[in-house]
Amino acid sequence: MTGCNEYKLNQGPEDSISAVKFSPSTAQFLLVSSWDCTVRLYDVGGNTMRMKYQHTAPVLDCAFYDPTHSWSGGLDSQLKTHDLNTDQDAIVGTHDAPIRCVEYCPEVNVMVTGSWDRSVRLWDPRTPCNAGTFTQPDKVYTLSVAGDRLIVGTAGRRVLVWDLRNMGYVQQRRESSLKYQTRCIRAFPNKQGYVLSSIEGRVAVEYLDPSQEVQKKKYAFKCHRLKEEGIEHVYPVNAISFHSVHNTFATGGSDGFVNIWDPFNKKRLCQFHRYPTSIASLAFSNDGTMLAIASSYMHEKGDISHPEDAIFIRQVTDAETKPKST
Amino acid sequence: MAEGGDVDWELSKENIQPLRRGRDISVLHQALSQREEGPTSAINQQKQMFESELRIYEGEDPLSVWDRYIKWTEQTFPQGGKESNLATLLERAVTRFTDEKMYHNDPRYVDLWIKFAENCSEPLDIYRYMQAQGIGVTQATLYIAWSEEYENQGSYRKADLVYQEAFKRFAEPHDKLLQFHKALQARVARQALLKLENDSSDEEPKQPERVSLADLKHRGKKKAIAPVNRTGSAIRSISGGLPSRGAPVLGNVSNSKLVIFDENKAETPGPSEPLLEPWMAPPTSRAKENEQKPEKWCDVKMPQKTKFGHAVMPPPPPKPTFQPFVEESDQPPTMTPCKINPTVNSVLSARKPSKEETPLKRLQEHHQQRKEAEEGKLQERSMYCKELLLSGATEFCFEELRAEHFFKKMAQKSQEARGDGCQAAADPAK
Repeated sequence: MTGCNEYKLNQGPEDSISAVKFSPSTAQFLLVSSWDCTVRLYDVGGNTMRMKYQHTAPVLDCAFYDPTHSWSGGLDSQLKTHDLNTDQDAIVGTHDAPIRCVEYCPEVNVMVTGSWDRSVRLWDPRTPCNAGTFTQPDKVYTLSVAGDRLIVGTAGRRVLVWDLRNMGYVQQRRESSLKYQTRCIRAFPNKQGYVLSSIEGRVAVEYLDPSQEVQKKKYAFKCHRLKEEGIEHVYPVNAISFHSVHNTFATGGSDGFVNIWDPFNKKRLCQFHRYPTSIASLAFSNDGTMLAIASSYMHEKGDISHPEDAIFIRQVTDAETKPKST
Repeated sequence: MAEGGDVDWELSKENIQPLRRGRDISVLHQALSQREEGPTSAINQQKQMFESELRIYEGEDPLSVWDRYIKWTEQTFPQGGKESNLATLLERAVTRFTDEKMYHNDPRYVDLWIKFAENCSEPLDIYRYMQAQGIGVTQATLYIAWSEEYENQGSYRKADLVYQEAFKRFAEPHDKLLQFHKALQARVARQALLKLENDSSDEEPKQPERVSLADLKHRGKKKAIAPVNRTGSAIRSISGGLPSRGAPVLGNVSNSKLVIFDENKAETPGPSEPLLEPWMAPPTSRAKENEQKPEKWCDVKMPQKTKFGHAVMPPPPPKPTFQPFVEESDQPPTMTPCKINPTVNSVLSARKPSKEETPLKRLQEHHQQRKEAEEGKLQERSMYCKELLLSGATEFCFEELRAEHFFKKMAQKSQEARGDGCQAAADPAK
């Protein structure tokens, strides 16, 4: 099933994978957080695990601050930072409920965490300390950074756009243009907009510029649906990752498929083979040559037996990721 | 402490919704005194506990969780209102168990339905729907609530008929039913008596007066065929709500050859009594009038003027020559209120007129969907546990659901560990 351009990572996590993130400087290192309470660092080229550290509860998200520091948070509501050189960790702070997302904003040099306690907190990574708590209208399910702007997706299908340089007020309050629960939001590398995926097989492309001409360009499309015996099976779209160079993006669904989309020509560029189980997380490497694919059951249908969780590393070509100029 | 609490509750009396079962005064004090916001407040934590219990409950009686949650909500949010989410909760609870036959005559479930109906604008429709679905048909509480609703609307006869139906169905508890039925009869009798007294006391001075929309008085030599309706007693028969008051008019009819239809008597029970109708399908809403069925517009033609000029449209009413005064604040804002940067405004579209959607309609839709799913007609299937995510008053995501399971397991483990510790401590003593 796995060809020469794709392989499975050794020493994978022992429980479901919650997030995969490539290092900001090299395609060699991959950070992986898991429900087995660990965060692991992999040497992708050598296909070995370099190190791992523990949380007291399952970890829901992790992020690189710089190539040598990782940040992570999860069900223990604690935000941890780990020095990958010295293998030492420290607790930076806590939320009042589990931490769902961790991101780094290089433009403003701040770490951002979102939690089910209905707040987003900013953290100064140098000190490190809390740099502010910002109440959201509902539980934070996903967030993404576009330049100095922060896009937060909460329960109740709400989307909020904050200006990280001026967190005094919400820049834009929106409602998701999709009808069902928001699963994932990722910003375009060109910072002009974001892509939002929902729990019912649909993806929306939206723009930040509020002017009418730009807003007219927004659209949504169906995907990750399989027709079996005349019935359309609709799967959650759990993961989105942008190609940093081409501004194309990959989506992963609970159907086990990964699709790559060209948002400008509104075309699907390619679809990979079906992975053993749900795609929980996706990450392009910084140079866009590799795609990390976490195939891991997310208990969408309860605690039932399921294929083994695994991380696949796939080398992608321009043919698969570059918009076709016509 | 108690004194302060008393003052508190005295001050916000008007904000407390009445409950059938009454309120626990200590909970009321607590609810009124602590109004702190935020996810850490005790109320939110308790709510979160209920929400998670709804989803991870594995016992035999899932209704019990809903029942406790809803009772807690009623007590904790004495003001009712949107933040309590009571209406949503009731609707979800009621919908959730429509398939579970074992709950259909469970007093708790029937109580939920009645609370749900009382929260709706048309409770009668809901009661009819319940009867059609066989929910609570052997429960006295349903008939009592139903009858009270009729009584509130002034139709005592129908209120009484509901009790007849209840007796026919052997609704339980019988004593309660009897007691409420007697009370109803007593109320009706008292009211009738009061009316009689009032009538007899002021009958003498009453002058015959015109009644609008009354029967026409005959002219000429023919003796009374149509009932003469302009006497004091006849006026009463029109304004009176009780069907028995039609009797005086009846006398007039006896000496006529024609039986004259009297709309005031039309309340006598006929075969079209809505109560006894067997509902095969969920009933449609009855409160709406002049409801137009949607139809194709392009086929519709303006009625043309005929030779005889019958179908001429009436001229539009003339415009007033003066400018009607309109309060500035009278015009409802069509845009969503927004305090943010006005340049951003254009992102927010005008609020779309909300679809006319009653809880009953949603229930029927749910019913329909279930039927279709059973017949395999459904075109789409969601490949995840939708019911669990959208249970209760808030939504959960997969991770939250799994987290709740994790926390539950952890709690059990720590409890077991503590239990083991106790045993270990007890053992050496032996």
